[in-house]
Amino acid sequence: MRIQDLQGKMEEQFRNHIIGSSPLRNELYLEVDSSGIKEICSSLESEFGCSLISLFAMDERENKGHFTIYYAFAERSAGLLIVLTVTVDPSQGIFPSISTKIPAAALYEREIQDLFGLHPLGHPGGKRLVFHGNWPENCRPLRRDFPLSSRPAFADEKMEFSTINGEGVFEIPVGPVHAGIIEPGHFRFSLAGEPILNLEAQLYFVHRGIEKLSEGKSIEKGFYISERISGDETFTNSLAYCQSIEKIAGIKVPDRAEYTRVLFAELERLTSHLGDLAGVCLDVAYGFAAYQIRMIRGWSYRVADELCGMRFLRSVNKPGGIRRDFVAGKEESLIALLKEIKKELEDTVDIVMHNSQFIDRVENTGILSNRIAVDLNASGPGGRASGIPYDVRKSFPYAAYGSLDFQVPVQNDGDVSSRVKVKVAECFQSISLMIQVIETMPTGEIKTELGMLAPYQFAFGLTESPRGENVHFIMTGENQTLLRYKVRTPSFCNWPALCHAVKGNIVPDFPLINKSFNLSYAGNDL
Amino acid sequence: MIVIANNLIQLLVILLLAPMVDGIIKKCKSLSQKRQGSPVLQMYYDLFKLIRKESVVSDTASWIYKATPYIVFSTAAVGALLVPISTLMPSVQFSGDIILLFSLLALGRFFMCLAALDTGSTFGGMGSSREALISSLIEPSILLSIFTIGLIADSTSIHQMMRAMTEVGNPFLHPVYILTFLAMLIIILAETSRIPVDDPATHLELTMVHEAMLLEYSGRHLALMEYGAAVKQLILMTLVANLFLPMDQLIPFAGEGAFILSIALYAVRVIFLSVVIAITEISTVKFRFFSIPNLAALSFILSFLGFLQYFVLGR
Repeated sequence: MRIQDLQGKMEEQFRNHIIGSSPLRNELYLEVDSSGIKEICSSLESEFGCSLISLFAMDERENKGHFTIYYAFAERSAGLLIVLTVTVDPSQGIFPSISTKIPAAALYEREIQDLFGLHPLGHPGGKRLVFHGNWPENCRPLRRDFPLSSRPAFADEKMEFSTINGEGVFEIPVGPVHAGIIEPGHFRFSLAGEPILNLEAQLYFVHRGIEKLSEGKSIEKGFYISERISGDETFTNSLAYCQSIEKIAGIKVPDRAEYTRVLFAELERLTSHLGDLAGVCLDVAYGFAAYQIRMIRGWSYRVADELCGMRFLRSVNKPGGIRRDFVAGKEESLIALLKEIKKELEDTVDIVMHNSQFIDRVENTGILSNRIAVDLNASGPGGRASGIPYDVRKSFPYAAYGSLDFQVPVQNDGDVSSRVKVKVAECFQSISLMIQVIETMPTGEIKTELGMLAPYQFAFGLTESPRGENVHFIMTGENQTLLRYKVRTPSFCNWPALCHAVKGNIVPDFPLINKSFNLSYAGNDL
Repeated sequence: MIVIANNLIQLLVILLLAPMVDGIIKKCKSLSQKRQGSPVLQMYYDLFKLIRKESVVSDTASWIYKATPYIVFSTAAVGALLVPISTLMPSVQFSGDIILLFSLLALGRFFMCLAALDTGSTFGGMGSSREALISSLIEPSILLSIFTIGLIADSTSIHQMMRAMTEVGNPFLHPVYILTFLAMLIIILAETSRIPVDDPATHLELTMVHEAMLLEYSGRHLALMEYGAAVKQLILMTLVANLFLPMDQLIPFAGEGAFILSIALYAVRVIFLSVVIAITEISTVKFRFFSIPNLAALSFILSFLGFLQYFVLGR
């Protein structure tokens, strides 16, 4: 489907509700009146087969006198984005909730309520999301008149959790501080004996105000903020940032830079997946396999060391290209190292996947059904293990992925075993991609000048992070600054999916299921 | 007099050797993971460190919480008095002392479960409920195994049973020994919280069994609890070493030299069993919690088959 066809079709079907429409690159922007938004959204999902990938608000009271809410949908087969915008009158401060039609919208709407103080009318559950009891009501940080330096009073309110009553049903609180060096998150289990009836995850303990912080920052500073969203997704976040800035600037990044970006993105994926696989093995007390995979992960850090001397892969990217020619002269040693990793990983996987006790632990554990995965827009290995054959690298090809050869592994059972299999297969795909990139890398420039960015321009940047679909939205302000930077990492969509996958399993299996998703707490809570 | 001296030697050897068993198992596991691992003597250092540290006690804890470390350690230590490390010298014995031994260990466990519930923390309760489930599942197989050996030895005194086992020649020619030996190995894994029943190295509270009960303990209380667990582990290994791998009959001479050699041989067998346990831990994966009854059933069936074998084939 071409974007003009889509535009025509939409305009005809919803001519009463659409106020204006403008296609821009592969993004179709439609201005919609708020009475029709629910109908359009649900038909976009059911008839056009689109998925809601981001939903956010913007405070445009200064220049337009209202708030705007953006609904971003992805048409994945054609690689199109459909962005609906609805204006919200500041004096009323309400907008219609679409969560009853599109479950994935529920979290975004709660986020908007917390950060902007706009009320989603008809939302099924109104509990606060981003801020806990100690943040005062009526303190809305993403409104532009909220100063960054203000220190809100400490509102000492108790957290509330949904409770399940019944004989023998009890709750166990876990966290927010956990054993081991992991991020903070509180999990409230409702149990009947060992089986879990319900899990409520109270996250958002690491709110750093990234979206507020980037308001008015220069393009350069915004880039550094994007690198610090989530430690192990540094490169992919910076890539999504660069992608949106480059779209706004309308420049074409040199091929050599595009290929190098693929190399780093796949290295990040490989390292992340190896860490997850080691974690899964350790959680079932399979020490041999865990340490073996950790050793291979150490080798992938050697690749990072060889390339840029840093395992976080920071300051590699740059809007307009990459900072240095990281690959030149290292081709042979890199390929030798990658082949070594591949061989050792093949041997290890062969042992692990033939261990019947290991298989017994991971099979049928933590099943995420396809229906729930689709409804919650679960992406990445978590979604692909539940039969969603979606990968941003194929649907919205970026960097050099369009000209490289790779497969997207898909499994249908949705259990821990499927996620492990998907991750294992992706590790091999990543290694093969990296070797391809090094072998076929074109010579030439590594960066182009960004030039001046016009104000009030906007674009989406989509990348496939190790955890899944990563959506960044940027709107530029005056004088080469950022007006709005909205980030939605895959963890935001996958956390609710995890809570569903846990139900019906027993408590000792929770760490294993959690590890098979391995979601980011910091990436979820900006 | 000699009897008492021998019992004291036996107690000392078990108390001194117990932390090392843990070190040997950990060392073997580290080597399988291409790691150097902690020193074999690490547990001694840890115990020494913990004993000098302050013990933090929760405000809500009752006397049970404070008394439990002493009960756990002293039941294990008294248990050590009952288990001869060598059959060459007489030691304190009476009929039914093996039942007393397992009752003492059960007493320690009972208080450990209570203490874990006492502070009202999240994980303690989960740990005790799981521990109670596992121990009640494994108990039938313990009783059946020791009574089978008791039938062969015609006694329920540990010393008598061990002596009887030295006289049977090659125990591996009799199916009854092999079956009860395997049953006892599974019992050791379950009783000492090893993989596949529990993971002693885990940091994940939600999956813990034994460790979850110790989470609230610190300082010298923790030292006593861990020491008690190590002693209990060695007691069980001593039983297996002297009942199923008897070597005292191989010593051709008598006297003090024979006694010392017998203790040395005992140490060799303990090290051997530690390596066997380490290899089991390395090569298996922790079972799904609700699969543990299958393991307990396997142990019970093995001991029951041994029991039947005794009636069919005799000794």
